[in-house]
Amino acid sequence: MRRLMLFLCVVCVFFFTSISYADRANGVLSMDRVVNLPNDQGKWYISIVGDVRNAQYQTILKWFSQDPALRKLKNQVHFCSVTSSSAIYKARYAANVKGLPTVRLQNSQGVVIYEAAGKNLPFTAQGLYGAIANNAAGVQQQPIFPWRQNRKRLCPSPSPSPSPVIPDLDPAPQPIDDGSDPVFEPVLEPESESSLPPVWLMLVTFVSTVGAGAVTKWRETYAEK
Amino acid sequence: MKRLSIALVLCFSLVGCEGDFSQSEPVQPSPLSSVNGERPIVNIPMVMRQSNWAGNQREGSCVHAVMISLFRWQNRLHRADEWRRTYANGEWPESLATKLDREGVRYAYTTKGNVSFLEWAVRTRRGCGITVKGGAHMVALVHLDDKWACLLDNNNVSKYKWVSRESLIAEWKASYGWAVTPIYTPAAPLPISQ
Repeated sequence: MRRLMLFLCVVCVFFFTSISYADRANGVLSMDRVVNLPNDQGKWYISIVGDVRNAQYQTILKWFSQDPALRKLKNQVHFCSVTSSSAIYKARYAANVKGLPTVRLQNSQGVVIYEAAGKNLPFTAQGLYGAIANNAAGVQQQPIFPWRQNRKRLCPSPSPSPSPVIPDLDPAPQPIDDGSDPVFEPVLEPESESSLPPVWLMLVTFVSTVGAGAVTKWRETYAEK
Repeated sequence: MKRLSIALVLCFSLVGCEGDFSQSEPVQPSPLSSVNGERPIVNIPMVMRQSNWAGNQREGSCVHAVMISLFRWQNRLHRADEWRRTYANGEWPESLATKLDREGVRYAYTTKGNVSFLEWAVRTRRGCGITVKGGAHMVALVHLDDKWACLLDNNNVSKYKWVSRESLIAEWKASYGWAVTPIYTPAAPLPISQ
């Protein structure tokens, strides 16, 4: 009886494991979890490196969540928030950053397109976006024409909170796409830097010049008659 | 009869073995594809590499060790720590998929031995876990180019193991062709100035 029970146990083990392997061999369990894998090898990288307790570091992270332009940029690149206490910082950033916090934009090959650290960082989200976009525009050779700018008034906003919230979870995952080079919005420039006169003045000048020319020509042509 | 039953059970043990995965002499890589000269492309720092460990069922946890190393490389540090505390022992593709789904992890895998999956995983700098030793062990694939493949074995994380591309593919396909990886943000390349 005892031998019979042992034999049945062995048969059961053999039977179920055989089924498992048969299924694998026959492809029942063969499947691809994701059919369309993201071909995002051309994506650029933005690294935000800093001390998790540093208010400026937390502010910059917040900008990338709250400022529309930076948030859009964040979704177009591989976004890496790196704290100075992490192993990845010690292995790959400590030897090559000039200060903390650091904002670094790299293309897919690792070439640094923009980097600023500490006091050299712009103090507004718009300023940071502009600095990044200007450097990237030079690399991408995509001129930004002033007449294509969607102009709007820049309003002062409240200063960042002095008490940063220290995150205790991994950052939210980024969208899966096949993105490559990021597309930058036109950078807003202050009105005072515009070298062109107002449109109405240009129109008045044009109309008056044409009118004066026409009158002069008319007099030359018909006045003698 | 008792010996026979033990032998049969051992024959069908799950993926998650212990033991050194080093059957041939290491070879030197040729200076082929790389990002910013960095080889392997998925160059996981030493302190982020998870070694294999024995679970409560006395099985190796190689699949989990690979996933934890890849989580760390893809900046999911808290997920990696949580995974280390929660899971252990050997895994089948479907049992791992169940756990990944339950934890809400974004991932991709194949059990078809599709080489393009490996190429994609390395091209996007994410790396992936691949089965070797007839399906009894999983290691991390951290580089794959026209000639060479590079493996990080969780039974000896102190060094990379370079093998020829053909050898790697043959080994993987003979080991059920299972590959799996999380899909998050890989670590940025080392910087070079313009």
